[in-house]
Amino acid sequence: MAEEKQTGRWGMVIDLDVCTGCNACVTACAMENNIPWTGEEDAGYGRGMHWIRVQRYWEGEYPDISPHYQPVMCQQCGRAPCEPVCPVFATVHSEEQQINLQVYNRCIGTRYCANNCPYIARSFNWFDYSQQIPTPMNYYLNPNVTVRRRGVMEKCTFCVQRIYEGQERAKAEGRAVRDGEIVPACAQACPTDAIIFGDLSDPDSRVSKAARNQRRYTLLEELGTEPKVTYLKGEGTYGG
Amino acid sequence: MAVEAKSLSTPIHGVDDEEAELREQLMFDPRPREELNRMVMESMVHTTPRYWAVVAFLAVVVLVCLFGAWGYMIATGIGLAGVRKPVYWGVFIVTFVFWIGISHAGTFVSAILRVFKAEFRRPFTRAAELMTTFGLAAGALYPLIHLGRVWVFYWMIPYPNARWLWPNFRSPLVWDFLAITTYLLSSTIYLYLPLIPDLAMARDRTKGWRHAVYKALALGWRGTEAEWARLRKAITIFAFAIIPVMFSVHTIVSWDFAVSQTPVWNSTIFGPYFIVGAILSGVSAVVTILVILRATLKHMDYFIRKEHLDALGKLLLVFSMAWAYFFFNDYLVSWYGGYEAVRKVLFFHSSGPDAWIWWSMIVFNVVIPWLTLWNRRIRRTPWVMLIITLLINVGMYFERYTIVPMTLAHQRFPFDWGTYVPRIEIIISIGTLALFILLYMLASRFIPMVPVWEVREGQEAHMIRQIGKARVPTVSELE
Amino acid sequence: MPRDIVHLALFKEEQLNEAAEAIQVLREMGISDHEISVISGAPLQEKMLGRPMTWTRIPLIGISGALVGFLTALFFNFGTPLLYPIRVGGMAFQTIPTSFVTIFELTMLGLLISTFIGVFVETISPSYGPQGYDERISDGYIGVLFSAPAELDARMHEALTALGAEIVHRAEAKKLWLF
Repeated sequence: MAEEKQTGRWGMVIDLDVCTGCNACVTACAMENNIPWTGEEDAGYGRGMHWIRVQRYWEGEYPDISPHYQPVMCQQCGRAPCEPVCPVFATVHSEEQQINLQVYNRCIGTRYCANNCPYIARSFNWFDYSQQIPTPMNYYLNPNVTVRRRGVMEKCTFCVQRIYEGQERAKAEGRAVRDGEIVPACAQACPTDAIIFGDLSDPDSRVSKAARNQRRYTLLEELGTEPKVTYLKGEGTYGG
Repeated sequence: MAVEAKSLSTPIHGVDDEEAELREQLMFDPRPREELNRMVMESMVHTTPRYWAVVAFLAVVVLVCLFGAWGYMIATGIGLAGVRKPVYWGVFIVTFVFWIGISHAGTFVSAILRVFKAEFRRPFTRAAELMTTFGLAAGALYPLIHLGRVWVFYWMIPYPNARWLWPNFRSPLVWDFLAITTYLLSSTIYLYLPLIPDLAMARDRTKGWRHAVYKALALGWRGTEAEWARLRKAITIFAFAIIPVMFSVHTIVSWDFAVSQTPVWNSTIFGPYFIVGAILSGVSAVVTILVILRATLKHMDYFIRKEHLDALGKLLLVFSMAWAYFFFNDYLVSWYGGYEAVRKVLFFHSSGPDAWIWWSMIVFNVVIPWLTLWNRRIRRTPWVMLIITLLINVGMYFERYTIVPMTLAHQRFPFDWGTYVPRIEIIISIGTLALFILLYMLASRFIPMVPVWEVREGQEAHMIRQIGKARVPTVSELE
Repeated sequence: MPRDIVHLALFKEEQLNEAAEAIQVLREMGISDHEISVISGAPLQEKMLGRPMTWTRIPLIGISGALVGFLTALFFNFGTPLLYPIRVGGMAFQTIPTSFVTIFELTMLGLLISTFIGVFVETISPSYGPQGYDERISDGYIGVLFSAPAELDARMHEALTALGAEIVHRAEAKKLWLF
């Protein structure tokens, strides 16, 4: 099959050297994808739901200390460990977009996928959080995205609703999707333009060029999961 | 060589010391079949007010802690449990693995010891097989309890949905489903088959509702040659076939962990390591139950003797050593591999905030059995064995706790490290413990706890043989 | 042929040799092995009593069940992914290593379930030979069931009591099961 030979279609590059750790991506993601807030107590216990989160690490010894931010979301692995372990095919690979899909109404909540995700990118609906949204706030909900009820797993979809929208628009206008036309919420909100999204199969797209940067690395490369997200980090030696 | 063989069915006059010692063994202390039947029947119908009080208490515990708490959790959300972001599996899975481990006892004692013709197994095969069935019944609840949406659990059953999508047969959870179904069905049948002659015995000796039930269950058993031949054939097929099934069940449970990429879980030795742990835990539970049965069930002190605790104690020592070997093998290779994430997890196990669990596991599974079970007097003292075997099972529970939540809590990204505190899991786990004990107590008054015909067959097969000036126990192969 | 009366010669548990002898005596009187049946409370091997080996189809039924399980597993593993192909984890649609697990479990399930079904069906299906029962059998007694024409009565009585048997006439079993 043609799709199998493709290295991947939609991909992302995150430039950690310009990321300021402002968490705008986290907020934008929550608003775009109807991610509920879980409340003070549950969030404090470690049940905050985020499809993207900014990992903060400290580098150096006090007082010469500086924070290091790393936004991490589902890496849309080409060989995703989460997929084959699901007993009911609730998380599957999209051959067209080359991303991982989560089928909410097929999920029965074994949570095996989340255990097997080396990036800990998945969030679980422990309670009916989306039902707890106070009344006027439910008008904020994005009609293009399913509101999940309790007992199902969810995760970053690369804003698949925006991808579809862009593809449909291009199709209606009888043209190919332009580079930079489709932007997920996190990339759109990023004030320093640290998140670049686009088509990896087009070698001239902005994301493909960035992904070939000398500062490139992927998370946990040794696991062979073939992530679609590339990180750029100079580690203080800016060569390229 | 001239051999004088003396059948034990007839009383021997002039018993000397050597023989007196042999007669402490069940097989050399034969009683007429009639009396054995009477003893077993009496043990079944004899109940005390204390028995009913315990049954009522356990029934309340099951109702409240299992069905009440579980129902409340279904209505509210799985969030009532303590599971959280990196620790998606907690005490539910720990208890699941624990019960599946307990269920290995019946098969081990009954099938493996039967295949190897270990004579000491005879009086307690049924007690062990009952543990298998009830342990599985308790354990099989957990894959349901821990689901986020238990009301659609049947989507795991191999049948297609409206769009002809079948379950994913590459998922270890579907393997689990198939393996546990196979094991539950086959171990229940394996409990039932050798029970048929005893049910016929009970049928002949009861009236009223008991008679009606035993009559239906005994399938019109008369004891003809054809019936015995069929039974022998079927038991042989089962004994040989159920052993690999038993191995596969706990191996597949271990694969739930081992096929994943989580550090420390991803280990090729997990299959046999889990099996050895399951047998250690299962055989310990058999000893625990035997000691309790001996003290509470009428006439059981005739059937269950110190020799049986002794023999099982030796097995426990061997399996404790085997467990330590596998544990160390897994630990050393993981540690030596030098993969940073793995080392961090191992370090977290033995020196994190829950390190006392890891250290208790070592003490209960290795230190205590090794220091005590080599001693014949300890092995033959029921109350000491009760304590030791209970501790071994606590240790095995801690082992699974170390493997599941304590490993998940400490994965590759330090940002996501977190600790896990069980909440409603504890109540539901107590509920299934009560369910297991309740089922067992009820069964002990309904199912002949001792396979009478097997004991009698064994007693027929045992002789004292005179070789020179010595008298030696001899077993003829009647099977 | 009118149906002969079913007699039951009861021997105590330890009178196995006498029971074997009695079967020999009956055979010499012209009663064939088909008309004799032995019931016992503990398993006895046919050769202990000098009886023909009984035949059972249980292994055959078991193996057929195993085959059904095996074929079902093949369908599950290699058929169902083709009905609705879904790519997961970069694996092929039909994976051989994982198939062994399902094949093993379902083959064993088929074998064990059908072995039990074999026992069940053979037990409740009508059997030939004399039907009789006495409740003392479950006390370990060995019973030799046989049907003999009335003219042999006196000889048979004498021979069997000499061997120490207790003879029960009209030992036809009451309804022992549901139907």
